[in-house]
Amino acid sequence: MRAGDRGAFEELCDRLGRRALALARRVLVDDAVAEEVLREAFLAVWRDPGAYDPASGSVRSWLMDLVHLRAVEAARSGPGRRRRPGEAPPLRASSGEEGAAGGGGPDPVRVALRALPDAEREALTLAYYGGYTQREVAALTGAPLGEVKSCVLAAVRRLHGELGAGPLGGALGSPAVAERPGR
Amino acid sequence: MSGSAPPRGEEHGALDELAVGWALHALEPEEETLFAAHLPGCSRCRGTVAETGEVLAALAGALPAAVPSDRLREALRAAAGDTMQVPGRPAPGAGVPDGASPGGASPGGDTGRPGPETVPTGFPEPFVPVAGRPAVPPTAWRRVLPNALVATAVAAILALGTWNVVLSTARDEARATVARQADVVNALLTPGRATVVPLSGDDGAPVATVVTRNGEVQVVNHGLPVNDPGEVTYVLWGTSDGAAVALGTFDVVSPRMDLQAVGSAATGLDEHDGYGISLEPGRLAPSAPTDIVARGEVTN
Repeated sequence: MRAGDRGAFEELCDRLGRRALALARRVLVDDAVAEEVLREAFLAVWRDPGAYDPASGSVRSWLMDLVHLRAVEAARSGPGRRRRPGEAPPLRASSGEEGAAGGGGPDPVRVALRALPDAEREALTLAYYGGYTQREVAALTGAPLGEVKSCVLAAVRRLHGELGAGPLGGALGSPAVAERPGR
Repeated sequence: MSGSAPPRGEEHGALDELAVGWALHALEPEEETLFAAHLPGCSRCRGTVAETGEVLAALAGALPAAVPSDRLREALRAAAGDTMQVPGRPAPGAGVPDGASPGGASPGGDTGRPGPETVPTGFPEPFVPVAGRPAVPPTAWRRVLPNALVATAVAAILALGTWNVVLSTARDEARATVARQADVVNALLTPGRATVVPLSGDDGAPVATVVTRNGEVQVVNHGLPVNDPGEVTYVLWGTSDGAAVALGTFDVVSPRMDLQAVGSAATGLDEHDGYGISLEPGRLAPSAPTDIVARGEVTN
């Protein structure tokens, strides 16, 4: 893509377009805005593919970060743009639902999410799928801000371990905290 | 997961929380500012952000499939054809590989789970033309420089004669946006003694900055809503001793940060005690402002 290969760009759209649009639509209530978010994110990649740093993770996570950032900023730009909790469709049930190559088994991400303590799952999903700041999450859940931050970190740490992610030199790749709140 | 050992570097716990919040885009502006300054020099936090990003990308994969429309795909293809790529530079890494195969750590993985991402999308729905869609707000400027700091940043640019946006190194996306704002920066760096006046809305939030220099007035918009040029126009007013004088009109055509010269034909543009912006019907400035949307005073 750095050489201006538009075929590579279109392949990237094919590979990650569904996931990226699903993310934007999860955050935003307006599909047209979600598509605009997607368009801007992909064009940012096309404009400057050299900005990708393998040391910072996969292309997938880089692109999803761009999409999520734009989606949450769009959601925060005005009232009524954010999809409210409870309005969003449920997570997909199996790993095979998204494409023909899927095996149809239980989606490991969904399984791992469901295994989280309620408080951790709620805090993480509000922040990521809902596009809320941690302070907003605290207001929504009634939990103290410090507890929300701890829950989010603990949830991400657990998922990192459960999903078998490799270490990238950060706090999540170190021996994990496994004590779950008693709830 | 297993084990109950405390996290490595327990004293780093607060920063770990910030790193995860940063990756989630869930920090408050003041936290972002602090963490953005910390991140470039902390390999552990950069690693935590990267690891969190992999987890979040996996969460995105748990959402029900959404199929981009044909028109979106066509728009992307056309836009790619019309968009110049950033020239080669010393890359921090290898850049996006040809074929764009997601690499690196991938939780949940592309290898451990049959990859729906490898299935072409098809993009089969109608695409809404850009002009008919709600505008998506600017991104990196607001992330790198929270709105309240933009006026300060403008002043800093003028004062230093250079732009050293350290924070932009923390976000690849910021680089692209910074590039888009190069024209604004170049305009601000025009030689000459300048006066910088931040203008705030009714809620006290800075929405624009007036820069006067050599008898010229420029308006840097960083928060005014886009106006409909067919219906209304913004008017810049100079205020002195309680009287307001219309200095010129301008339109805000994009939610992105922008700089415009206003009132090129007038004299004494930079000799006011304060400035205000009103939104007026039609295309001409009235004799007096009717709806002031931002105002500020010259302080030095």
